[in-house]
Amino acid sequence: MLPEEHIRRNRQATLAICLFMLILLFSVIFAFGFALGFPPILSFAVGLPVALLYVTLSYSFSVQSVISAAKARPANPRNRREKLYMYRVEEMAIAAGLPVPSAYVQESSDINAFATGKTPEESIICVTTGALERLNSEELEGVMSHEMSHIANHDILVMTVTVGVVGAIALIAEILLRSLFWGAGRQRNKNAGPLILVAVIFAILAPLFSRLAYLLMSRRREYLADANGAMLTRNPAGLASALEKIRGDLPDDPKGSRTMAPLYIANPFKRSRRGSIWATHPSLDERITRLKAM
Amino acid sequence: MLWILLLGAIALLFIVLTPAYYYNRIIRAENRIDNAWAQIDVQLQRRAELIPNLVETVKGYMEHEREVLEAVTRARASLMQADTRQENIEADSQLQGALKSLFAVAEQYPDLKANQNFLQLQDELSHTENKVAYARQHYNDSVLRYNNAIETLPGRWFAGLMGKTERDMLQIPDELREPPQVSF
Repeated sequence: MLPEEHIRRNRQATLAICLFMLILLFSVIFAFGFALGFPPILSFAVGLPVALLYVTLSYSFSVQSVISAAKARPANPRNRREKLYMYRVEEMAIAAGLPVPSAYVQESSDINAFATGKTPEESIICVTTGALERLNSEELEGVMSHEMSHIANHDILVMTVTVGVVGAIALIAEILLRSLFWGAGRQRNKNAGPLILVAVIFAILAPLFSRLAYLLMSRRREYLADANGAMLTRNPAGLASALEKIRGDLPDDPKGSRTMAPLYIANPFKRSRRGSIWATHPSLDERITRLKAM
Repeated sequence: MLWILLLGAIALLFIVLTPAYYYNRIIRAENRIDNAWAQIDVQLQRRAELIPNLVETVKGYMEHEREVLEAVTRARASLMQADTRQENIEADSQLQGALKSLFAVAEQYPDLKANQNFLQLQDELSHTENKVAYARQHYNDSVLRYNNAIETLPGRWFAGLMGKTERDMLQIPDELREPPQVSF
């Protein structure tokens, strides 16, 4: 597939996700209104603006929500390790002929990285402190090249918006459930009924949405980013070696938000090494084999 | 009558749009090359700027290594004088070789290696070196794209009309691939 075609498909996928969420949210609100006996006009008048507002807001703030979900901060140039990381980011941007992304750091002992943003002109690359500590220069460069390729291919738009728009539902469900849980003891008013219903429905839907986010992240994107990354560094062994380190180090008890998982270079929640049709990422084994064959 | 008009309109659109498409494609590919060169140039400048600083820092520690320092200064001077793109690249690889020897010799001086300023300069110089290498790679990739655009049909016909000819890739000098010769 030509790069232009890949980019166009990513745009279409982004639009499709937003429209899908809009319709879904609207139908849920409408169905609630109907079930609770409100006149359809009222449900319509409430449902449409709410759904629109939700999609618009979560779309506009998707980059911020990804960054805050990862608890990422900008890299500190006074720290030598982070300075060298910023250097690697700049080098990869030059290799790809793109503007330099902002370099962010996530405090975590796992080895992982992700890229986010809506356009290649305003993009962000983030790595974990674990990656900075344990990857050597060549491996880090390989990881950067993979993320830079996601940026060049416009994968970051669809990935970020998916996590932002779809993930927000999961977040709302969590907040609702938690507030109900804490609120239940203090006040047992009669109006809590529909709220509980909403929360329960959200709680049922949330994992489905996360699953959906997983499915939308095509595995082809990962293979493509690996291959393009190798084209940038001319050194597939660097990325292969980084992936091997990640494979040997998948956390027993992954922290952080599950909805973020598709964004990372390797899914921290997948300990199983077999590929499955549900996986967002191809198995690390397969990716390493392909890189080594280049 | 109507269908003749319609057919004429479609043919006209085709005749106007096809050259426009190829014209834009070729110009864009050409701009990419010039832009890629600008990027290399920026990095070469940056490298040349860092050298006096480095020499100043190192001088006090490496009094017995005058030759190494002179080689670096000389290579910088020839980089500043380089005219064509290929000359620039050759002067830069000379400089790179000289720097490699300098850093290899620096290994012998623990005091120097502990100097924060030196460390920073070393980091930044190897960073600019990587940037030059990647910018050069991007330049050659861009040249390849451009050459493909003007050599394949039908781009070739339009390139002929536009007077565009093939561009040369940057040749990476051989000495760059050799390990540095350091004599103690």
